[in-house]
Amino acid sequence: MNIGYATVTETRRLYGDVYETWFSAPELAAGAQPGQFIMLRCCDDASYAAGDPTSNIQHPTSTIDADPLLPRPMSYYRVRTTTTGQEWGILYDVVGRGTAWLANCNPGDRVYAWGPLGNGYEIDRNAGNLLLVAGGIGVAPLVWLAEDACARGLNVTMVVGARNESLIFPASMLPPQVEIVVTTDDGSAGRKGFVTEPFGELLEWCDQAFACGPNVMMEAMAGVARKARVRRPVQVLLEERMGCGTGICYGCAVDVRVRGGRKMKLVCKDGPRFDIRDVW
Amino acid sequence: MNLSVDIATAGKRSLTLTNPVMVASGTFSYGVDYAKIFDIQRLGAIVSKTTSMQARAGSPTQRIDETPAGMLNSIGLQNVGMRVLARDLAPKWARWKVPVIVSIIGSTVEEYGDCAAFLETTPGVAAIELNISSPNAQKGGMEFGQDPDVAAAVTAACVRATQLPVIVKLTPNVTSIVDIAKSVVDAGASALCCINTLQAMSIDVRTRQPRIARTFAGLSGPAIKPVALRMVWQVARAVSVPVIGCGGISTATDAIEFLMAGATAVQVGTATFRDPLAPIRVLDGIESYMRENNIADIHEVIGAARPTST
Repeated sequence: MNIGYATVTETRRLYGDVYETWFSAPELAAGAQPGQFIMLRCCDDASYAAGDPTSNIQHPTSTIDADPLLPRPMSYYRVRTTTTGQEWGILYDVVGRGTAWLANCNPGDRVYAWGPLGNGYEIDRNAGNLLLVAGGIGVAPLVWLAEDACARGLNVTMVVGARNESLIFPASMLPPQVEIVVTTDDGSAGRKGFVTEPFGELLEWCDQAFACGPNVMMEAMAGVARKARVRRPVQVLLEERMGCGTGICYGCAVDVRVRGGRKMKLVCKDGPRFDIRDVW
Repeated sequence: MNLSVDIATAGKRSLTLTNPVMVASGTFSYGVDYAKIFDIQRLGAIVSKTTSMQARAGSPTQRIDETPAGMLNSIGLQNVGMRVLARDLAPKWARWKVPVIVSIIGSTVEEYGDCAAFLETTPGVAAIELNISSPNAQKGGMEFGQDPDVAAAVTAACVRATQLPVIVKLTPNVTSIVDIAKSVVDAGASALCCINTLQAMSIDVRTRQPRIARTFAGLSGPAIKPVALRMVWQVARAVSVPVIGCGGISTATDAIEFLMAGATAVQVGTATFRDPLAPIRVLDGIESYMRENNIADIHEVIGAARPTST
């Protein structure tokens, strides 16, 4: 994990209220894997704007400075190389004060951040066919996983689900080798229904599955996986409200199955990747 | 430039810090996580996550929420228990330069005493801090800190059980924090820490439910700083033992305000969640302030805002 300022290089709206923001700060994604995340402090930064981070004595905490208070956890969504160097991006739905602040960032703006954090997805060495299941904005970490898997020559099928057509991540932004199955709750694009149906149908095809989305979606997937004729390992990325992202505040606890019972684990430090059977 | 301060002075119950910047209980886990991130040995002291004799699982989620310039937490005292603390953590602390103060909680007065006695024989522990102020414990915590007699009984039990300095962390959720402060000092407290979180809550208007699983939580962060400062001012005037200021301290300026109000040391808490380097920035900022103002000794700052007649 590294700590520092990431400089925004680009912010743009992709669809609905979903934005992508790119940063040039390679040290803040050094060694990062798909499924890992970064904490971003989404607030104006008068304390350190002077450039000398130790000079905060000159800039007492103001209300603006402390609001929104908590940093936001964001999965790495993609990495890219530009003429000026390595960049990493995040993909997010504008749902509150933090994400609204991010969407208003312009190129050159600086965001205080620390990462990479947590445990990302792990592709089994023997896996050839990968099934990726994305619900809503949960697509973010799976885009990078899909790119990474395709680059390794693996077969990727991706189920992309959302409420309606306008909230579906554009297929044109995924690697062309990826087989895409779209579902929408209202049938405005792809198959009408939830991602659980194609997930159940494709489970036997895959060697390993990876999911990210609302808890209700992943819980339903757990039910499908339990009833399936075949056992396939399914890794899920969990989301929970976080204070610190590093395991010191104990805010993001989740009750998971461990040998001999259940235990409160921390999404940020012990996760966010868990085996679906340990959670539901 | 002298930054060292005494938190406790009597015999084995003495504790001198190289500087007044500590990290608050519950905001730094057991200290080992950030050892890789910055030089934690520079801190005045580390206060551990509150620990009970037996491990506790803590509250269900949702445990935290963001509020204007603050946050709510209801972690529910999730902790590893004294045996794991002594086996896995204290041996590391024993090799550190920075003193580690263990925050303790019990379900009964006796259990507080048991924790204190247990830590008496654990190498690597510099002092104990009594958590009689957490609003999130199902048993113990704030219920022992809201009545002067009960608070005194817990303090006395711990002072009897250990020779280590006993710091008592007070709750602001009382009619008169000064009465509680005087009572625990009479019972033998070496120092006081003011304040723990303010009991609070929030409601999600879409679901029509409290956001925090256990309904009530503790409010911390910059939002509570003026309240904490006022209480430190009042308590420092009323007692003769050192007072440690805590509550919304995010910058060196905040810390200096608490010192000027009469605090001997300060604890940085929630600020560490929004900047892992916050404690060290506060220390650096205090040093810069002293240099810029030609202050040779931190004691010139402590109590500087108080009327000289008191």
